[in-house]
Amino acid sequence: MKNKSNQRTAEAKKEKLLSLLQKHGLNIYDNLDQGKFPQFIIPSRSVNNIVYDKKLRQYILGNASAVRSSRNMSQLRSYTQLAWLAFFVNRLVREGKSSTLRDIYYSSQAFSIDFEDQPESDNIIVDLEAVTLSPREEFHIFPEERSSVFGDLTIEYTVPGYEGKRMNLSDHPDGYLIGPSLSSAELVDTSAELVIAIEKGGLFTRFVEEKVHKKFKSIIVDTAGQAPRSTRNLLRRLNQELGLPVVILADGDVYGEHIAMVIKSGSANAAHLRELTVPDAKWLGVWATDIEKYKLPTIPMTESDIKRIYDLQKDPRYQEGNWKKQLEVFLKLKRKAELEAFSKYGLTNITDKYLPAKLEESKSF
Amino acid sequence: MSKETFSQISPSEFFYRNRDLAGFSNPTRSLYTSVREFVENALDACDQKKVLPDIHLSIKAVDPEQSDPKHYVLTVKDNGPGIEPKHVPHAFGTVLYGSKFGLKQARGMFGLGATMAILYGQITTNKPVTVKSCADEKVIDEFVMLLDIQKNKPVILKHTTKDASKTGLSVSIVLEGDYSKAGSKIRDYVSQTSLITPYASMTFEDPTGEKFHYPRIVKEMPPPPTIIKPHPHGVDVETIRRMIVDTHYQIPAVDNKMIEKIKKELGLQKKSLTTKDMLERAQKRWADLSRPVRTIIALMSFLNVDFDGLQKIRIDDIDVANKKITYWDFGESQSHAIEIDSESSYYKQLANTIQGDTLLTFLTKRFQRVGPTTAEKFCEFAKLKPERRIGSMTNEELVRLADALQKFDDFLAPDPSCLAPLGEEPLSKGIMKFFNPEFASVMQRNASAYSGFPFVVEMGIAYGGGIPATGLKVYRFANRIPLLYDEGSDVVLKIVNEMDWSRYKVKGDPPLVIVSHICSTRIPYKTVGKENVADRPELERELKNALQYLARKLAVHMSRQGAADMEKKRANLYAKYVPLISQFSTELSGKKKEPNYKQLIKMGSEIEEQI
Ligand SMILES: Nc1ncnc2c1ncn2[C@@H]1O[C@H](COP(=O)(O)OP(=O)(O)OP(=O)(O)O)[C@@H](O)[C@H]1O
Ligand SMILES: [Mg+2]
Repeated sequence: MKNKSNQRTAEAKKEKLLSLLQKHGLNIYDNLDQGKFPQFIIPSRSVNNIVYDKKLRQYILGNASAVRSSRNMSQLRSYTQLAWLAFFVNRLVREGKSSTLRDIYYSSQAFSIDFEDQPESDNIIVDLEAVTLSPREEFHIFPEERSSVFGDLTIEYTVPGYEGKRMNLSDHPDGYLIGPSLSSAELVDTSAELVIAIEKGGLFTRFVEEKVHKKFKSIIVDTAGQAPRSTRNLLRRLNQELGLPVVILADGDVYGEHIAMVIKSGSANAAHLRELTVPDAKWLGVWATDIEKYKLPTIPMTESDIKRIYDLQKDPRYQEGNWKKQLEVFLKLKRKAELEAFSKYGLTNITDKYLPAKLEESKSF
Repeated sequence: MSKETFSQISPSEFFYRNRDLAGFSNPTRSLYTSVREFVENALDACDQKKVLPDIHLSIKAVDPEQSDPKHYVLTVKDNGPGIEPKHVPHAFGTVLYGSKFGLKQARGMFGLGATMAILYGQITTNKPVTVKSCADEKVIDEFVMLLDIQKNKPVILKHTTKDASKTGLSVSIVLEGDYSKAGSKIRDYVSQTSLITPYASMTFEDPTGEKFHYPRIVKEMPPPPTIIKPHPHGVDVETIRRMIVDTHYQIPAVDNKMIEKIKKELGLQKKSLTTKDMLERAQKRWADLSRPVRTIIALMSFLNVDFDGLQKIRIDDIDVANKKITYWDFGESQSHAIEIDSESSYYKQLANTIQGDTLLTFLTKRFQRVGPTTAEKFCEFAKLKPERRIGSMTNEELVRLADALQKFDDFLAPDPSCLAPLGEEPLSKGIMKFFNPEFASVMQRNASAYSGFPFVVEMGIAYGGGIPATGLKVYRFANRIPLLYDEGSDVVLKIVNEMDWSRYKVKGDPPLVIVSHICSTRIPYKTVGKENVADRPELERELKNALQYLARKLAVHMSRQGAADMEKKRANLYAKYVPLISQFSTELSGKKKEPNYKQLIKMGSEIEEQI
């Protein structure tokens, strides 16, 4: 058993966020007291300000920022919404309570901060992320969708009522939801040497049944499609804090390829955030070239699949290497294959044949 | 001696020949027009005697069960000066009898309105008119009459008197009408009349028994117009002919009073002489005789009659130029014309008496703002001799005179003292009371003139408040009469519609009202229905100037209002949000006491709008 985490990361992050929020609170307070109009400076998330950082290997925001001032009548309302959110997040984090995007929309109404609709409140949440450079999960605000994790990993809860309580994530074969308590838990210990992220719940279950976690000394993560931020954050922590390499298995189509890319280098939507990426993660498959190589049964691509390929070809991250090559082959094939396609050759074909082969192959890229 | 016989027409024929002109084309329009004629007469009468009008109008169905069109009793009662009993039959029983022919602004013009309404009632229902009048605060005379148009005189069915203490007049007729169709127009008419006559109090009781009351809004009467002489540009041949006739002589009525007068001037009080002796005596004393007496004597000579004979006829015309006298013989009920013997010594006498003034005197005496210098210049322009006696002018000369009067450019502009605009203050008060707007402004333009007729434009604008946001609405008035029909082709509407309202911050369907009042001795009506005004360039210019002035005032109000609204909005927003921000920051910063944010709320509402 390894214990690569010697500092209590989750706790530190929480403290850092709380002191940042307090700093903002003090600033607003002093302004009001001195008869000045308080304001927030928010890094601009406009398209012009999103750039790809080759060194960081992710999208980041440029230097442009916008001022949201309470002096400007047209911004007064959204200024107040943002101040409220900071205030509300402060309560959530201090009290160790979690909420969803939808909760936030409704909670506002108790403070006569009316959001017109949920998109408006979602936007304010992104504003606060940009101001604090922290993902909303740190605010204890979670999206509805959940993904799961399974494997030999010991965690220690920090949520109220469970503080200090430990737990091993291989005790329940359905896996564990990557929810607020897991996201805020300390990663204590693991015997695993690898993290396998897999796009689909069905395959995740198969992997557990086939004891992939034992055979390959791995932690298995179900991304449930495009990986939610908390999942991406967990993958990153497994990689950074525990030093585990991360590999990704997704459907053999353009969306699968991009799921891998987002885990590796983030999305433009989250350009204001760090710590959501795993730059060293490896995309195992299913590659376009695998479709022919493994003689997988295919289905034809749709119009939107093809359009998506053209879109991604403009993305700076798809300009070279295997990423570029696979897009081209997909475009040539105009067909795609799902992970389940391996079942044609037996239910365990994917774990017995494909996975070992690809892991072997991955050592060279 | 030639004889002429006038052809006679029946009352209904006369009416039907003229009904469209007078606004009696169908039961709906006729009911409306009748209301108008009587209400306007009542207001005119009060205006003339400077009495604050109190008008009561009622329309009652004779048989409410019947369906329209049906018979209605229309009654209009006022508190004006009334009419002296002896004039009542004429005023209401003869066509073209009126007291408003003089040149000054009045609602009535032709001496036709009341009689047409009465006639319409009589023809459609065969019922007489009832007029009650008190002119002396002592006796009220009640006349029940039918009209005899053949004789152009009333037939009095009943005349009674009663004691009274207040002057006033009431007219009541029975007529065929369609209130279900005319009702809304009549109600509009009454309410709009109250707007343009804010010094009047009016009540209207309609056939359903509903009562509309419009109380007096202002207590002062606007200054009354003065009667003035015509402007040379404003007269035609017919008017000149009439002016010449009534300047130079009046054919005197031969009654006992006149006979007394003649006897006195001839020194004959005691004696009674033969006609021949009388004429001789007159010859000797000619220079001392008054003009009417000279005329009578001359007529007696030409007609060869005595006093008794004179009393049996009515002299209608003495045409010196054509040497002709026309008279009506009551005994024969016929008109006769006889030639004058130009050899007679009376011819010259009569001619001089009735040929009257020289052209120069005529011009300076009978027209406004014409002095001797202008008159002489004019005569030169018209190629007429200044010393020419106007009574002897030939037809061609009269036409030349009329034509030149129109064309001569050096006459001074018409005198507007004959006009009676309402005035800015009463108009403004009327508008405030009527519309209860958030903003109103009025303006009276200086007098101007077209073709010799002076006119004044008054206009008001009102915005917001009690005015519904259903788009611009125009209320048109002429000589204090609401114009409700045929608005499509009216000059006022044309001007209003040509306006680029967006330049004055007016958008969409604004709660906006324009009140336009044109005062003139002659409103240039487009059609005989007197409902829409033609677009004379002079009139157009005045309307446009007034409208632009008012629109600018409105624009100023709108931007002031906009700024005030914005400040209010800001104040509300800051009052709402700043305390919240304070509350959040207090907890966020871990402080116990809230910051002092009051000043910020105040500052917030005062910031000038950026962007
Ligand atoms: N209510 C009244 N009080 C006093 N005098 C009246 C009243 N009604 C009518 N008269 C007199 O009777 C006359 C005749 O009225 P009528 O309506 O026929 O003619 P008008 O008003 O002079 O002209 P128009 O034909 O344009 O109405 C008036 O000129 C006026 O002298
Ligand atoms: Mg009249």
